[in-house]
Amino acid sequence: MKHFEYFSAHSAEEAVALLQKYSPDALPIAGGTELLVRMKQNLIHPKVLVDITHVPEFQGIALTEEGLRIGSLVTHAEVAASPLVRQFAPAVAAASGSVGAVQTRNLGTLGGNLVSCVPSIDSAPALLVLEAQAVVFGVNGRRQFPLTELFVGPRCSSLTPAELLEAVIIPRHNLGKPTCFSKFGRRKALTIALVNAAACVETNPERTHFSQVRLALGAVAPTPIRAYTAEAYLAGRPIAQEVLLEAGRLAAEDAKPIDDFRASAEYRRHLIGVLTRRVIEGALAGMPKV
Amino acid sequence: MERDVIRKVPLVKPGEPGMIVEEAPTEELAGYPSVGRRIPRRDTIFQVLGQLKYINDLSFPGMLYAKVLRSRYAHARILRVDVSKALEVPGVVAAITADDIPVNSFGPSLQDQPVLAKDKVRHMGDGIAAVAAVSEQIAEEALEKIVVEYEPLPVVLDPLEAMREDAPRIHEPRSNIYWEWHIRKGDVEKALAEAHLVVQERYRTQMVEHVSMETHSSIAMWDAGGRLTVWCTVGRITLARTDLARILQVPVSRVRVVSTQLGGNFGGKNEITIEPVLAILAKKTGRPVKGTYSRKEEFIASTTRHPFIMEYTSGVTAEGRIIARKVRLIADGGAYCSWSETTLGKATILSAGPYDIPNIALDGYVVYTNKPMTGAMRGFGAPQVCFAYESHMDTIAHRLGMDPLQIRLLNAYDEGSISATGQILHSVALKKTLLAAAERFGWEVKER
Amino acid sequence: MAFTIKVKVNGEWKTADVEPEMTLLELLREQWGLTGTKLGCDEGDCGACTVLFDGKPVNSCLVLAVRADGHEVVTVEGLGTAERPHPLQSAFEQHGAVQCGFCAPGMLISAKALLDANPEPTEQEIREALAGNLCRCTGYTKIVEAVKSAGRAMKSSVK
Repeated sequence: MKHFEYFSAHSAEEAVALLQKYSPDALPIAGGTELLVRMKQNLIHPKVLVDITHVPEFQGIALTEEGLRIGSLVTHAEVAASPLVRQFAPAVAAASGSVGAVQTRNLGTLGGNLVSCVPSIDSAPALLVLEAQAVVFGVNGRRQFPLTELFVGPRCSSLTPAELLEAVIIPRHNLGKPTCFSKFGRRKALTIALVNAAACVETNPERTHFSQVRLALGAVAPTPIRAYTAEAYLAGRPIAQEVLLEAGRLAAEDAKPIDDFRASAEYRRHLIGVLTRRVIEGALAGMPKV
Repeated sequence: MERDVIRKVPLVKPGEPGMIVEEAPTEELAGYPSVGRRIPRRDTIFQVLGQLKYINDLSFPGMLYAKVLRSRYAHARILRVDVSKALEVPGVVAAITADDIPVNSFGPSLQDQPVLAKDKVRHMGDGIAAVAAVSEQIAEEALEKIVVEYEPLPVVLDPLEAMREDAPRIHEPRSNIYWEWHIRKGDVEKALAEAHLVVQERYRTQMVEHVSMETHSSIAMWDAGGRLTVWCTVGRITLARTDLARILQVPVSRVRVVSTQLGGNFGGKNEITIEPVLAILAKKTGRPVKGTYSRKEEFIASTTRHPFIMEYTSGVTAEGRIIARKVRLIADGGAYCSWSETTLGKATILSAGPYDIPNIALDGYVVYTNKPMTGAMRGFGAPQVCFAYESHMDTIAHRLGMDPLQIRLLNAYDEGSISATGQILHSVALKKTLLAAAERFGWEVKER
Repeated sequence: MAFTIKVKVNGEWKTADVEPEMTLLELLREQWGLTGTKLGCDEGDCGACTVLFDGKPVNSCLVLAVRADGHEVVTVEGLGTAERPHPLQSAFEQHGAVQCGFCAPGMLISAKALLDANPEPTEQEIREALAGNLCRCTGYTKIVEAVKSAGRAMKSSVK
C-alpha cells in the first residue's frame, strides 16, 4: 500500500474538521474492509486517512423516541447479534449476518457498507423496506433524510467529502413489522449478491389479503431500489401464488439489471422473481398465527 | 527440530502410548507399522503450531525485495524501456531489463518464453523490467517510474481465430499452432458410413487458475564462490535448476534449488517464473533478493488450465456398440507453451474415453493466444476430455433410448482391450467398478 | 510519520514503530517474526491471515497496525506449543485436516473463536464459522471433523 498520513478522530466534530482540512485528499476509515482493498488494488490513493473508529457519537444500538437507532460504526457482527435489532427488525439482522464471512463482519461496519453505495450491498434492502432515515454529521451540524436519498449511483453517495454517516434510524411505526431478507450469490457464504431483496408485509387481520407491502432490491440497478410498481400492485390483492408471480414480474420491470461477469441481466431478472416470492413468503411465515 | 516432537511421529509399534495408530486392517499386515493404517504426517504438528517455514516466511540479513513490471497490453511491440527514473527512487538498489539476461528463454518443452520480454509482449502477464529495493512498497513505487513505449498489435483471444492462416502471429514467423497430436486406429470414415447412428457434438471448457493458498515466492542468493542458491516454490527442482543454469549461463553444478513445503501446487508451481530475475538482481546487488507474487500476478503471470474446444463424432450400431469415434481437440495454449505439449498429449491419448472402439481418429492441436499461459494442472488435460466423452456417451444413450449405464457396460474396456494407441490393457476393473458403483448408489437399469 | 504502538500479542505486550500504511499482518510477520499467520490474497477473501483481535477473528491484512494500539492479538503461535498443543492443533493433526498447511493457522484461529463462544457447535455452525477460511487441498470435511472432535475434547477436559 502507498504511504498516507493517518489521524485518529475522537469526536464527530474532530473527524469532519480533519476531513475538511485535508479535502479532497482525505477519506474516512472505519472497518477498512472496503477501503483498504481498494487502496491495495491501486484504485484509490488517499493522502490522508481519518480513522473514525473511536468517534463516540457513531457507536451503539439504542431504542429512542424516534425509533431504533443503529450507529454507523456498529459492525455487521454486532448488528446480526443485537437482541434489539433481532426483535424489532429481524431482516436487518439477517442482512448483516449475510455480509462476507465472520472475519469481515467483525471489522466491517453498517455505515461503511451503506456509504460505499455499491449496488449489491446487503445492508440496504432491509433498511429501505423499513423506511430507515439516515443521520449525517457535517461541519454545519446534523441533517436527516430518507436512506433512499443516500444512494446516488454506483459508489456514489449524496454525502459531501466532509460529511459522515452518523446513524440510521428505523422509525418507531415500523418496528416489529414482519420483514424478510434474502440473498442469492454464487456461493452460500463470502459472496457478493447477484440479487438481494427484502420485504416488509402487512395484511388484513384475516390474513387473506395484502394491505401494504414494501419491497426493495439490490444489485439490479445503479443503486439499491424500492420496487414501487410491484408494491402498488400488491396492495389489496389476495395472498396467492399467482399474485406473487405477477409481483415478481413487475419487480423485475422496476429494476434495471445489467450483464456483468457475475450474472446476465436475464438471469438477474429471473432471480428477482424468485427472491420477491421468497421474501414475501418469508415475511408472512414470520407473522404470528391468525 | 526438537527430538520430542519427532518422537510424536509414529514409525513405531502399534499400540505404543500416545500414538494415533489404528489396528492393522488384516492379520497379514499386523507386522507392518504403517501399511493400511491412518498415520499422522510428520510435518503436520509444525504446520498447526505455525512453525513450519514456507518460502515467504524466510528472510536473510540485507535481503532486498523484487517486483516485476507487467505489460499494459496483451499484444504489443516494445519500442523502448527506460528504468533510469526507477533507479532514482530512494531505496531502489537495482533494476534490470531483458538486456541483462544472458539467455532470455526457457520452458519445459519449447523454450519459447522470455524471462523478461524484449521486443514484444504476448500477454498481460509478461514481465518487461524488474527492480530490487529495500522494501516491497518501494519496489512497487519504482515500477511506476519505469517508462515503456509500446506499439499495440492486434490481439488474438479465440483459439479458433488464432488457427486461421491470416491470424496475427504471436510468435512470428511460426504458426500459432504450436503442437499437434494425431492418433489413428482402424478406418474411422468407413465405420462412420456404416453406422446406424452418427452423433456429433462440440464441448468447451473454461480457463482455470490453480489458486494455491500460497502465491509463488522465491529467494535468490549467491555465495562468495559464485554458487547460486534459490529457495523457491517450485515442485520440479531439477527442471528449475537446469533452466536457471541455462538462462544464467553457469554450470548446473553451481546452482542449488531448495524447495521446501509448498502452500499448494496443483501443477501451477511446476516451472520457474520469477527465479531468474531474482538471481540476476541478486548477482547485481550482491544481496539476497526475494520475490513474491501478488494474488493478481497468480492470475495473470502464472500458468492456468487450458480451455479446450472438443469436437466429437461417434458412429454406433442400433444395439449401442460404438464402432467409430473421431475427436478434434483444440487447446487454448495461451502465450507460451509451458506444459502444453504434455497436456495435449495426455488429453489426445485419453480423448476416446475408456471404451473399446475399433475405429478411432484423434487429432489434438494447441494454439497460441494472447492470454495467460496454460500449463500443468491436476490431470494434464484428462478432466477436459473426460467431461466431453462422458457427456457425449450420455447423448448417444439418450438418442438410442438406452440406459446410460448399459451403453457404458456394452462398450467399456475389458481385460485385453486395445487402446487407441495400441496398448493392450491388463487389470481392467472398469465394468466391475461401474456395477459396484451402480449398486451402491441404487442405480436402476431401466429397460426401454 | 511513524507511530509507536503497544500491542498485547499472545499474552505479552510488545511495542513497535509503524508507518500508517503497515498492516497488522505485516507487523506480525515482518517486524515480530510471527510468520505462522499467512498472506494469501491480501484482500480479506481467503482467511489465511486470520488472527484474534480482542478475541474476535479478523483478517489481519485488512487491519492497519496503528489500529492495534492498545488491543490484544492472538496468533496461531499463541494457541499451543509442541509440548502442550491446543486441543484444536492435536485434532487437526489426528484427523488429517491439514495438507499443504497454508490455511491451517487461519482455520485454527477461526475455530478457536468458535469453540470459545460455543463449545458444542453443530456442523452447520462450524461451516459458518469457517466460511471465511479457504482451503484448496483437503476439502473441508476433515477440518469440520477435527473442530467437532476438539470441541468434545475441550469439554471433557473442563469437567
